Amino acid sequence: MKPLKIGITGVRGIVGETFTPELAIAFAQAFAAYLDGGRILVCRDTRPSGPMVRAAVMAGLLAAGCEAVDLDVCPTPAMQLAVKHLNARGGISITAGHNPSQWNALKFVRDDGLYLNAAQAEELLDIFHQGEFAKAKWNEIQTRIETVDAIDHHIGVLKSVFDTAAIRARKLTVAVDCCNGACAKLSPRWLEELGCTVLAINDDIAAPFPHNPEPKRETMAQLRAVVKAGRADIGFAHDADGERLGIVTETGEPLSEEMTLALATEIKLSRTPGTVVTNISTTQAIEKIASRHNSNVIRTPVGAAYISEAILDHNAVIGGEGNGAVVIPEVHATSDSAATIGLMLEQIAKTGERVSELAANLPRYAMLKHYVEVAPNLLFSVLNDVRRDAEKTDAGDIDLSDGIRLSWMDGWLHIRASNTESMIRVIAEAEDEGRANDLMAWAKDRLR
Amino acid sequence: MRAIPTLKISISGVRGVIGDSLTPALLTRFAQAFGTYVSSGTIVIGRDTRTSGEMVRQAVVAGLLSSGCRVIDLDVCPVPTVQLIVRERHAHGGIAITASHNPAEWNALKFINSDGLFLSLGQARELLDIYHQGDYTKVTGSVMRGVETFTGALDAHINAIINEVGALPKTSRRLRVALDSCNGAGSVIAPGLIETLGAEVVAINTTPDGSFPRGAEPIPENLTGLCRLVKASGADAGFAQDMDADRLAVVAETGEPIGEEYTLALATRYVLSRTPGPVVTNLSTSWLMDDVTRMFECPLHRSKIGEVNVTEMMQQVGAVIGGEGNGGVIYPRINYCRDSQVGIALILRLLAETGRTVTELVSGLPRYKMIKEKLECPSHRIGEVLKMIRSQYADHPVDLRDGVKVSFEDGWLHVRGSNTEPIIRLIAEAGDETKARQMLNGAAERIVRLLK
Repeated sequence: MKPLKIGITGVRGIVGETFTPELAIAFAQAFAAYLDGGRILVCRDTRPSGPMVRAAVMAGLLAAGCEAVDLDVCPTPAMQLAVKHLNARGGISITAGHNPSQWNALKFVRDDGLYLNAAQAEELLDIFHQGEFAKAKWNEIQTRIETVDAIDHHIGVLKSVFDTAAIRARKLTVAVDCCNGACAKLSPRWLEELGCTVLAINDDIAAPFPHNPEPKRETMAQLRAVVKAGRADIGFAHDADGERLGIVTETGEPLSEEMTLALATEIKLSRTPGTVVTNISTTQAIEKIASRHNSNVIRTPVGAAYISEAILDHNAVIGGEGNGAVVIPEVHATSDSAATIGLMLEQIAKTGERVSELAANLPRYAMLKHYVEVAPNLLFSVLNDVRRDAEKTDAGDIDLSDGIRLSWMDGWLHIRASNTESMIRVIAEAEDEGRANDLMAWAKDRLR
Repeated sequence: MRAIPTLKISISGVRGVIGDSLTPALLTRFAQAFGTYVSSGTIVIGRDTRTSGEMVRQAVVAGLLSSGCRVIDLDVCPVPTVQLIVRERHAHGGIAITASHNPAEWNALKFINSDGLFLSLGQARELLDIYHQGDYTKVTGSVMRGVETFTGALDAHINAIINEVGALPKTSRRLRVALDSCNGAGSVIAPGLIETLGAEVVAINTTPDGSFPRGAEPIPENLTGLCRLVKASGADAGFAQDMDADRLAVVAETGEPIGEEYTLALATRYVLSRTPGPVVTNLSTSWLMDDVTRMFECPLHRSKIGEVNVTEMMQQVGAVIGGEGNGGVIYPRINYCRDSQVGIALILRLLAETGRTVTELVSGLPRYKMIKEKLECPSHRIGEVLKMIRSQYADHPVDLRDGVKVSFEDGWLHVRGSNTEPIIRLIAEAGDETKARQMLNGAAERIVRLLK
């Protein structure tokens, strides 16, 4: 099975195998054609293939007559803010997010700083597949690529949204694991602006990822040690490009990535009740929290673009996904781990609450996650078989908007094809571990 | 009617028209092929000032990194600087991004081996085979290497010239030099070099922005601006470079262009006065070279046309200097390649040491008249044309190494097919225009008749 995924979230693959410079060039040309030229911002995370992919993307954009602006190593959310700030036509983020180092990907951002939605991504793919790209003549081509820093502007926006004075007054000690990713350029600076004593680890953008750039409990051992040794008030773990965030409490307990959105939602709704947007694969703790605060939840298919659109459509006060990605709409309608940090620290500073207390107060469910690698050509038929069996179950509700989601009073099960890899993901959640195990067992039986 | 070619993939690299056939995908594949060819080694890259240079550079960098190379990027610099740095940094090869004297819409990749030389015929064929096979080395992301931006290359080049040629003697009058770099790669090095040598520089067309302020070739009709500058500034000499700063032409202190054939002749005169030894030039270069080498009783060897052929023969015979009549000076103590910077240094030394004017130096050499023509000819009929010429001039000495070169008592005629276009080139040289014209027209008429 060749690891390459060309889909609505962009193009993603393993460098040295399927993710070639020609592919990146062609996608950049297609994107330029899609936007009909103009200014396009390019940023990347820190994986070693970044400079190669960046050069390929730049070649494609320049050849198509675009004004390419290089943001160099920079978190994706900083690029998304800069797209609006610099009146760009769009942006390309070179990052495979939480995927291991050998992966890379292109993610496409439109002029409002949000990812292309599914319909727009389809249009881009059509142009890519047609393979006929605009070519700039020698006297229409951009002769120099300007490098622009997007971090300052990002920090400026964050400072305008959060109560920095209150946070500064508290003189918090904060541990942060940047995973040697793009956030190494943003997070320590942002925390210093907030008057924190910063205990930063893995903040060298030239060094390899010290662990998978996926903020899960199992990747936060080093951060836990720093939190404890440094008596930090909280610890934050970043992915490679600044979307997902993991949290370690002041006691050194790593929270599950599902808890990041839950915690943010609790904080936000306690101040401003309203609509919460999340996807159908995220913990039902969100509904429970919303009901505490007289708020409601909108569920979308899995994918950042769906969350952004629903947040705008429903004028939501917060949104995000169970993978640690949280959207603070006052900053922008897309996930941003630096903004999530701002929200958490603001709460701690203003209320004096400890993170462990906040976390203990959250509803907890037993959640199990599992994945099965499936050849691309079999994905559809495997899911179809599961769908047929699902109809025979006693589930109270069957939601087919994104894969198969079955829900009961005491739990739910979601079986879907990954947007980014050739695999089927299964998530089961229930009030107790035994029930979650049962639900997962049912799914595993059918994916054998 | 044949389509106008916009892409040429050959042993001298890949050339094409931007916005047409020279796409980033093609360029990145060529860079991958080269990266594969050098077994993922260290590669030095540099470019001239063409507007498409940045795009081409990005495509090349992507291909080189993908194939596992480490890249040393010199950005805008003359081709000979790339060649020099390949050797100084012990790199495995180099890529010069330049279409030399082609018009602005063209760009090209020229490939350099670990000796700092353009790929030989055999090496170029191996590279083309890899390109066409399409199975390039691809390294995984985790072992991919990066790009080093090296800003010291121009200084290194200037220092190498100062070390080998020497600054101008302090005792002599300070020379004033007019310079026209055609807004090309020479813009970023030649003014600094001339000042470091110890002369004063007045310059036009030294904005490295890729605009072509004049025809790119340093031939007299393109040098009216420089000629005016020489007169207006009272300069001792004017120097004109092409886009990638490998060719050089000289304007006399009177504001007269002396013709690019004199560039190599003057440089050779200086070198032989210090270090007599063998000299190499190509078959189409002026008899001036015979006169200059005879002055110093040094042997002159003639090679096939093409810079690689000249440099290979220079290495074989241990030449002290060599080059081409188009203004290409090759001084092996710096570099086995055409280098207008070296040419400037050698000719300024000649002026300073002899204390003579350019006009005086030129008048010390015979005057020849060289004329050039090209005739359209389908590629498949070139052989037939050459065969006819050979039999027509059977009673004269002929050299058949590259087309047909016929020697007469008072001149010579060279007829050859182009490597790059469907044309026949004719060159004739004699003591006066009438004689040269007579030789050339005789051959041209026969060719036209044959092709009818």
